[in-house]
Amino acid sequence: MAVAQWVKTLTFYEILVGMKATITVFIDRILLRKRKAITLQYPHEKRDLPGTYRGMIALLRYDDGTDKCVGCDLCEAACPSRVITVISSEVEGEPMKRYAKEYYMDMTRCLFCGLCVQACPVDALAMTKEYEWAKYNKRDLYLNKEQLLALGDRNFPVREKKLEFQHPNVAYFNIGYKNLPPKDS
Amino acid sequence: MEMLVFAGAAVVKIAVVMGVVLLTVAFLTLAERKVLSWMQDRMGPMEVGPYGILQPIADGIKLFFKEDIVPAGANRLLFSLAPILSLVPAFIGFAVVPYGPNREIELFGVTIKPFIITDINIGILYILAFTSIGAYGIILGGWASNNKYSLLGGLRAAAQVISYELNVGLAIISVLILAGSLSMVTIAEKQAGSILNWNVIGMGHGAGIWWWFPVTQIVAFVVYVISAVAETNRLPFDLPEAESELVAGWMTEYSGMRFAFFFMAEYANMILVSCIASVLFLGGYHAPYPGTLLPANLAWIEGVAWFTVKVYGFLFLFFWLRATLPRLRYDQLMRFGWKVMLPLALGNIVITAIVVYFLRD
Repeated sequence: MAVAQWVKTLTFYEILVGMKATITVFIDRILLRKRKAITLQYPHEKRDLPGTYRGMIALLRYDDGTDKCVGCDLCEAACPSRVITVISSEVEGEPMKRYAKEYYMDMTRCLFCGLCVQACPVDALAMTKEYEWAKYNKRDLYLNKEQLLALGDRNFPVREKKLEFQHPNVAYFNIGYKNLPPKDS
Repeated sequence: MEMLVFAGAAVVKIAVVMGVVLLTVAFLTLAERKVLSWMQDRMGPMEVGPYGILQPIADGIKLFFKEDIVPAGANRLLFSLAPILSLVPAFIGFAVVPYGPNREIELFGVTIKPFIITDINIGILYILAFTSIGAYGIILGGWASNNKYSLLGGLRAAAQVISYELNVGLAIISVLILAGSLSMVTIAEKQAGSILNWNVIGMGHGAGIWWWFPVTQIVAFVVYVISAVAETNRLPFDLPEAESELVAGWMTEYSGMRFAFFFMAEYANMILVSCIASVLFLGGYHAPYPGTLLPANLAWIEGVAWFTVKVYGFLFLFFWLRATLPRLRYDQLMRFGWKVMLPLALGNIVITAIVVYFLRD
């Protein structure tokens, strides 16, 4: 036993085992072409994002182009980082209807938890798959309503997050994943 | 006139050798990154040029145009001197390396050896003497930076180079016993024949019927290779620049062209060490088979090609070791150098001397 250990030490056995491992990878890669690099050449090729990816947050519209947002402030209340500022107001001439006159999101603070999206009773908020939002100026990440709506238009051309959520009375129900309203009621 | 031709030939040889060495240094950085990435399932540089082959040029331009920063409190003179002190000894050793067969050609009545810049009779001693000066560059650079990490890196480098320089010297001595000369050309000439006559196998030193007895220098070879890796501060012996402990060691405060000088010195040292290893232990420009395949007047091509293959094989070994082994701890490094390598090298000298003494009669 001790002799075998000495022979192993003198012949650098462990080091040779390690070097065999590296050269095997090298040969498989270069000569035999059995292995591939796991590298993704990022700006040229991009990873497929999962469906539940939580990227930039967007405001949505209805098909006729009006805002879904009713200015209820629930997203502002739900936000743990105080990203959202909503200034709500009445729709002129229609005292029962309210909307967000101004809507700001300070994306420098956003941690993309998605609580605002869950809190929204009218499904006006959605998470897109956009993530390349590096800016030279930090203030460029203070998004106003137009920018958030543009994000939504760009990423959700059908203007609905999920088709099964489309319901004539969608604005009046608290749509969650759990309690869907029946389709024809 | 004769003097002019001699000087002109020397300048041409120097220019060619420096050109080749600098080009090799440049593309060695790329080769290292590529080989490492291939061994680690990565791609390496891919952006500059096809498959990233122009990366060294981009790196060179970048380093050349970078701001030249001298840290506050640094010793300006030594801070500027250190990279040069490190680079020059690394390049100077190439003057005595035989790159091809020991031929002589007549040019305007002057005898010129085309494949070696100068064949001085203390070649290997000259290389050892000058590469030791490179350690000054490192420790002065570390001290002059006015940074504790740099100083620690410089100290480590000095201790390491001294410890392992000794083993390099002792490993070489047994080769000198076999060759009976310090000249690199003579050492390479003595290994003519085939792979069996190379110093790693070491046949052909016995007299009479003992011609076959191998005076193998495999121990000296292994000691030399390990010590050479340690001397060039390469992984797994890269403690002077251990980035996880010392930021970048003695190079922490260096940037731009001065950093490039240190970098080039490291790679030039790698090439030099590989050249010495191939000349001393692997027969230099001799092919592993007897004689040459090409006709006599073209045999030099074969010689240069074999020398190149051996040197690049060694350089690949450097990358291979780097891809495989983790860094040693400092006490392990010192213990290995003084308690393992030194006795091995000394014992090898004694045994070689005794064997050669009895074989030569």
